[in-house]
Amino acid sequence: MASSTGPALEQLLSQLPQDVAADVRLVEQRWGTMRFANGVIHQPHLERSRDVSLRVLTDGRLGTATTSDLSLGGIAALIASAVATARVAPREPRFPGFPSPDGDRARGVAFSEATARLSPEDQVLLAQGALEGAESAAPGSRVSGVVNVGSEQLTVANTSGRRGTTRRSVIQSSVLVERPEARPPVSGWSESAHWRADRLDPEELGRAAAARMPRDPPEPAKPGLYRTVLLGSAVSDLLYMLGYLGFGGHAEEEGWSCLKRHRGEALFPKILTLEDDARTPATLPQSIDFEGLAKRTTPLVSEGVVGEAVTDLVTAARLGRSPSGHGLPPEAPFGEWGPIPTRVLMKPGAASVEDLVRDTRQGILVTRLHYVRVVDPGKSVITGMTRDGTYRIEHGEVAAPIRNLRFTESILRVLRGLEAVGKARGCFADERGFSVVTCPPILSRSFRFTSSTLF
Amino acid sequence: MDDLIETGIQAALRAGARYADVRAIAPLRYEHLAVRNGEASALTSSVRSGVGVRARTDRAWGFATAAELTRDAARSSGQLAARLAKAASRSVDRPLALTSDRSVRGGVYETSLTVDPFEVPRDQKVELLVRAEKALHVESAVKTGHASYEAWEERKWFGNSEGSSYRSRIVHVGAGVEATAIENGNVQQRSAPNSFGGDYRQGGWEFIESLGLPERSPEVGREAVALLHARRCPTGSTTLVLGSSQLALQVHESVGHATELDRILAMEAGYAGTSFLTPKDLGRLKYGSLLMNIVADATEPGGLGTFGWDDEGVPARRTPIVRRGRLVGALTSRETAARIGLRHSGATSRAEGFHRTPLIRMTNVDLQPGDHSFPELVEGVRDGVYLETNRSWSIDDRRLNFQFGTEAGFRIRKGEVAELVRNPLYAGMTPEFWASMDAVGNRSTWHLWGVPNCGKGQPGQTARVGHGAPMARFRRVAVRGG
Repeated sequence: MASSTGPALEQLLSQLPQDVAADVRLVEQRWGTMRFANGVIHQPHLERSRDVSLRVLTDGRLGTATTSDLSLGGIAALIASAVATARVAPREPRFPGFPSPDGDRARGVAFSEATARLSPEDQVLLAQGALEGAESAAPGSRVSGVVNVGSEQLTVANTSGRRGTTRRSVIQSSVLVERPEARPPVSGWSESAHWRADRLDPEELGRAAAARMPRDPPEPAKPGLYRTVLLGSAVSDLLYMLGYLGFGGHAEEEGWSCLKRHRGEALFPKILTLEDDARTPATLPQSIDFEGLAKRTTPLVSEGVVGEAVTDLVTAARLGRSPSGHGLPPEAPFGEWGPIPTRVLMKPGAASVEDLVRDTRQGILVTRLHYVRVVDPGKSVITGMTRDGTYRIEHGEVAAPIRNLRFTESILRVLRGLEAVGKARGCFADERGFSVVTCPPILSRSFRFTSSTLF
Repeated sequence: MDDLIETGIQAALRAGARYADVRAIAPLRYEHLAVRNGEASALTSSVRSGVGVRARTDRAWGFATAAELTRDAARSSGQLAARLAKAASRSVDRPLALTSDRSVRGGVYETSLTVDPFEVPRDQKVELLVRAEKALHVESAVKTGHASYEAWEERKWFGNSEGSSYRSRIVHVGAGVEATAIENGNVQQRSAPNSFGGDYRQGGWEFIESLGLPERSPEVGREAVALLHARRCPTGSTTLVLGSSQLALQVHESVGHATELDRILAMEAGYAGTSFLTPKDLGRLKYGSLLMNIVADATEPGGLGTFGWDDEGVPARRTPIVRRGRLVGALTSRETAARIGLRHSGATSRAEGFHRTPLIRMTNVDLQPGDHSFPELVEGVRDGVYLETNRSWSIDDRRLNFQFGTEAGFRIRKGEVAELVRNPLYAGMTPEFWASMDAVGNRSTWHLWGVPNCGKGQPGQTARVGHGAPMARFRRVAVRGG
């Protein structure tokens, strides 16, 4: 894909005051969200937008403004607002300025024009497929879920001459199948994401969610420490949180990263390898970050050895490093989060889910986590619930469904207890494919469940 | 603007819709200023304008939106919304009815404020934050200080095919400070007036000035450092006294979301979850002790959930949710209220902006005050804990099993607040927890909090909601140190 810059951005840069340097982003999006519940499509949604984000640097001070108004007056107001903010900002003495075009050239990444152009009616058909798949596999059950389809084009330009464009195409879908009338209620879940709509079958997701739904009433289970098989969706939540708590630039800079004291240390078993790679088709690819830097593979954990935190221009300057190409949009709220890995991939192992279960004499299998929140960032302790398919494992077999459990556990402890890694990776993304984790199921010898619920 | 609204409505009707409503936002302004360790942190001002059209056939909705304020954008959004509704109708075999609510014509609602926050010079705001952040660093163990300010202004025009129309200008502001102390991997945080950005209000700059952030900062910094050396919160079943801001979040998670009728009717099942409640529980279910009285009040002055009309054009109202411990009401919209046979919507349908469809959102969901002062809540407690200021929160997808962590805890010994304890967590099940409430703080302990980050829906929407809450006392609660 040829790199180009919208004329609007060139015009914007030409209108900046002389003592002002800047980078600017144009984000053009088209999304459809077909949401279904109670077996019908109840909230279908189509969205088109174009937004400009401008960050200016003047007298060593940074200010940011955004607008959806691309008229001449709107652009003039945008510049005035960003400059006015920068003029009153505290100085950022270590900020080196915006990067020139030299050096890293962004490689093209996979993009599906057909996915980006999917009509509203075709998107509705995909959602109907999910409903039909679930209904065929579990007649009479209650089916909910979503199909998100869309595309985003990001164009970045700066006053140092750097120009870059990347396009993302996304399909993301999830299906929940429930029997709410059962006592206690039971449910099953399936989800996936891809950059090609023809490689993701919502009908199959519907069938898979139905298959995951327990047939027997879930039994109460005692909280405690268990060997645990975590399926891909649950693993993706752990890795997403680890990205923020352990590899986030702000966490590193401010000293509360749970991995700050472990860089270069063989903290985890050798079977754990994590990297951030936005270019592989195994994720939802993008070629540049929001500061126009080329995406490249960033090792996070290499055969158990902890790597460095990721950075953007500001945090790299504060840490005295080179930026790793993980810039998010500089405006709030992203600018407050700071750089985090958004394309995490876990190296697969050789085990099937059946192998993971077979290796477990007594333990628990978790399909999915719910409402995961940080309890203690310095120790990577998080809490949350299991949901939509939690099972007891006995003597190497999935023995019976159990009621959902609350966990309060350190991510580092779970990963240090990693005993096996599955071979089949899934791609798990949020609804717009902003943050993506590609990972297999895992078996950990240590997962702490702290209470249980009624279903 | 009236012309643009009418264009969107007519486009949807001509394309086959039976009903349409249009919201034009012109503009949504947002300002975020923050200082972190003396350096600027994502200083941002943003402006967004556009139109959203919701269309309904006999059986299904469609929603389409464009980030432009032109008649063409309104027309194409109306056409797309109707096209989508027709396509979705094929999956539906039952009619979609709405309540008949009183319409509004030419209504006007404006936030009452003294000083427009967008007129206050930015250097004045940044100077306040710089002073407040600097004052957090009372000791070297405070590794990160953070002071932030946010303001939103939404100018909205609404119209629907039933003839309702109104316009509104709503301004929300908020600010807070936060100190993070770190020692040997022990990370402790203290904030004021609340965590996650501070406190928020519908109003003007006068609210920010009333917070007195620079004056509060030194104590916040000292408490963060003190937490590093505090003992771990003890573990066991004990008496728990909750501070007002933590109780506000408890109300939010275990009552507010649980009583949203779209969750009860499983319309949110695939994402945020459902509720342990059913429509049959209305008027019957014992939610908590006789001291528990909760209202959803969209008329409360200054609340983040206060407005003139909701995003379906229904006038704001005050709805009892729990009365003397019994569930008596729910948060409803025109569609959900009709589905359970109610005559009117509870007017809680709101959208994040023009680009999102209206969903049931909390307004100001308040726990009414009781008659105990703080010393009276504590004086009868031989051994317990007092917890304040949220640090973490999580609850299951039916809103039953919850666990909260707070920034700070204090032992209560022989009726008096004693030493500081760190990493407190408490957990429970919603109805049992509320049934254990045996004393509620009086008006002196009550505060109307602004919660700016309530997430719901797909695509995701962030709502700003209000919660009035006193302090309160609960017996036999599972408490532990994390």
